[in-house]
Amino acid sequence: MDNNIADMQYLCNRTLSQERRGIIESIPQSGENILFVVAADLNLKSRYAEAFFIATNVAVYSVELEDDSESKNTSKNKRKNKDTSNGVSIKSSSRIPYSKVEKCKVKRNYGNAVLVINDTDGRYINFIRFSYKVASLFDAAANFVENVGVKKHGTIDEEMAIMEVAFERQFSFCPKCGRSLIHPGANCIYCQSKNKLIKKIGKYILPHKYVLIFCLLLSVATTAMAMIPPYMTGKLVDDVLPNRDLKQLRIVVAVLFASYLLQQVIGAFRTYMLRVVGDKVVSDLRADVYRHAQYLPMKFYDRTSTGSVINRISGDSANLQGFMLRITQEVVVQFFTMIGIIVIMLSMNWQLTLLSLIPVPFVVYGARVFGRKIRPFYRKIWRRWSAVTSILTDSLPGIRVIKSFANERRSTEEFEYYTDEWLKTDIKSARITIAFPHIVSFIITCGSLVIWGIGGRLVIEKPEFITAGLLVTFISYTSMFYGPVNFFANLNDSYQSSLAAAERILDIIDAEPESNNGAGNKLDVIQGKIEFRNVSFSYDRSKKTLSNINFVIEPGEIVGIVGTTGSGKSTIINLLMRFYDGYDGTILVDDVDIRDIDMEYYRGQIGYVQQEPMMFHDTIYNNIAYGVPDAHVEQVIHAADVANAHEFIARMPDAYDTILGERGTGLSGGERQRLSIARAVLKNPSILFFDEATASVDSETEELIQSAIERLIRGRTTIMIAHRLSTLRKANKIIVVDKGEIIEMGTPEELLAKKGKYWRLIQIQQMSEQVRKSKEEENFE
Amino acid sequence: MERIYIDNDMARFTRRDLTLVDMDLYDGRHFERLEPRRLFPITGTQKYITLLDEEGEEVAVIRDLTTLPAEDRRIIEECLDEYYHIPKIIKIKSCEERFGVTKFYCVTDRGECTIEVNNIIHQIKLTHGIRVLFRDNDDNRYEVPDIRRLDSKSRSILDDYL
Repeated sequence: MDNNIADMQYLCNRTLSQERRGIIESIPQSGENILFVVAADLNLKSRYAEAFFIATNVAVYSVELEDDSESKNTSKNKRKNKDTSNGVSIKSSSRIPYSKVEKCKVKRNYGNAVLVINDTDGRYINFIRFSYKVASLFDAAANFVENVGVKKHGTIDEEMAIMEVAFERQFSFCPKCGRSLIHPGANCIYCQSKNKLIKKIGKYILPHKYVLIFCLLLSVATTAMAMIPPYMTGKLVDDVLPNRDLKQLRIVVAVLFASYLLQQVIGAFRTYMLRVVGDKVVSDLRADVYRHAQYLPMKFYDRTSTGSVINRISGDSANLQGFMLRITQEVVVQFFTMIGIIVIMLSMNWQLTLLSLIPVPFVVYGARVFGRKIRPFYRKIWRRWSAVTSILTDSLPGIRVIKSFANERRSTEEFEYYTDEWLKTDIKSARITIAFPHIVSFIITCGSLVIWGIGGRLVIEKPEFITAGLLVTFISYTSMFYGPVNFFANLNDSYQSSLAAAERILDIIDAEPESNNGAGNKLDVIQGKIEFRNVSFSYDRSKKTLSNINFVIEPGEIVGIVGTTGSGKSTIINLLMRFYDGYDGTILVDDVDIRDIDMEYYRGQIGYVQQEPMMFHDTIYNNIAYGVPDAHVEQVIHAADVANAHEFIARMPDAYDTILGERGTGLSGGERQRLSIARAVLKNPSILFFDEATASVDSETEELIQSAIERLIRGRTTIMIAHRLSTLRKANKIIVVDKGEIIEMGTPEELLAKKGKYWRLIQIQQMSEQVRKSKEEENFE
Repeated sequence: MERIYIDNDMARFTRRDLTLVDMDLYDGRHFERLEPRRLFPITGTQKYITLLDEEGEEVAVIRDLTTLPAEDRRIIEECLDEYYHIPKIIKIKSCEERFGVTKFYCVTDRGECTIEVNNIIHQIKLTHGIRVLFRDNDDNRYEVPDIRRLDSKSRSILDDYL
């Protein structure tokens, strides 16, 4: 925790300057002790401001400060409070003692929230406003005020222990990058490593370092050989041809032949080796990105399209691999080539050498300007391309829907729109990317012209100073010299493109995986007791999906969760499955916090049957054995039998070897559901979750699924979410959820006798069930 | 039940609280503590404003805010302004990328603020070619209503991320 915070006698979510501490500590009435302070970032008028929520042992305060220098500028006569301290003063403040609080809650608006207090005089007070940045702390503060002031649940010390956890959670995130820390107060492992791109991607190259060094040596050899021809050409012009020396000619031609042959042979071998290394690097990189993608929390996928992830795994990793090889090979080779040529040229004629260097500053400057211009384009191109692939991944699997609504044209037009957007951006960037190398080439050519002009004149006027052969050799070296210059000038282009690719790949690799704090912690056997203690959760902080959920399910109990759509039923399952970990409160299985249990082990103990079971493009057998790949054949058949699936599988021509289409096409909804139940049977879990398992099937299929479910749930703790309350006929406890809160809980008989929400739902369902059955009978007749 | 659509002067509104209004319908019905919310908070800020009661049930929908009498329109707009905190970015003073977090130091119509974005690809979106929506790491929202109205420096900073 922050040192300054540790120095203070009370908790605070930000470092306070002495002057602010002075003001805050002067506010409570005498005899009151400050327990905690939450710094808010908005005032009640929804403007950014410095405001504080102060909780003492007697009352709560809200205080807005203003910067005197600003207020002098804006409203000289508006000074209300003389309680100033070094440039900051109190603009407004209010106090409510706990004894006057009747209700305290956080009302979430859009992008902001307000802590609202209902007092005993019947007033509804908007106490303090804040952005979502501090909303979770205010949630805890509202609970504190309610528990201390209204419910009088526990002592202030007990409630402060909860507040301390809330403050610690605030510091469980790195203040620099926002990632979760290993434990509260720990150093951020990402920020320590400074995110150095090369460092991070270098690890993929390191295993191949010996091959790469060998390739480097080979390329040094070929580069050295490339230096021979210009020298030999000069010799030809100056010595061999003027002297008509045939013997020398044969030697020169042989040396040139050997040099060219070796260059090509070694070059081909080196290219092959690099290709092999390159393929290995890209395959490692892809595997790593895919592996990371598997362990990313559901929250990542809630916000990222699968098309964009696919794009990163396929395109970006190849782009990055190309760049890594350029860095490790070409940069080194080109650098030494450039130095080698400069040394040779200087030894031949330093004046001409200096002349040939004239274009270099222009090229380097151009490369910098080019880099700045082109980088945003690469981001834009990627964004546009990502939109195109997202449409592909969205629309092609839904081709049936597109056809059934005769929407082929609209779908095509949409695709064309995004392709067009990509095209426009790509053409814009092409103007720069294509123009730049040509400009560089032109500048280089101009440099050669200068040497031809000045060098040629010297050959004509002062042949004793420079020979024709030397000029030819020099021009050859000059053109060779601009190879590396050109390379480095253009390197920025691929560097920028790769930087954008690296950003996107590291977005996955660096993304915080699902936390597995309990790694290795496996319970001997899971009995199946489930407990929710004060669990609250929101998907995106804008709206609370679950509020203060409390229930206990004993081992072997069958519990139905009912409620209207959007009431939070599936969220309860999502939290139990540990798809989302960022909730308040505790979820316990067999009295152990599920966050402290090994993730893989924990999920391995749970059978989860969804409303829309996901099937893979594989055989029926492999789909059933998905969770237990080494299951015996007869176990798989038995599982299918229990799930009432064996009969329909056996009737299929390829039976268990039938390959399902993508997402299980080729099977009816009820058949897919029975396969997913067979999967769960095979897994033999201790706990079972059914999420609307019979929601989209007819009555007859429902009976088949229902009897399969009943066979499966015997002796296991089962939570069933069901719209059709008939599905819950075996349930011995019902939890009714509404707007994220539990409104009723008890046995079905108790709830029916209560004549509350459950009873009303039953009445409605019985009527609609009668209508449905009579319609089905009508259709049958 | 048929949805009540409110046009022109079909209803009178009275401000009840920060984000709440009372409504008297032309047929004499009276509703209290209704919260106006946009049905299209991103694509249509003036049209289809739903009025929810304390249970979150919809009571009526205002079809088009601009057709309401001036006073009623002002009341509803004030409530919406209180509910929706979407600061409009007037100027981007600077921007820095460190440790994978991009920080935009901005001047907005609600004061100065720093927008922290972890993922520029997903959290900054250009819509309709001119409007830019930001969602920061805490799910707060910001917008640039029209990038053409930004000064050249702000525009050049922002352009790199669009």
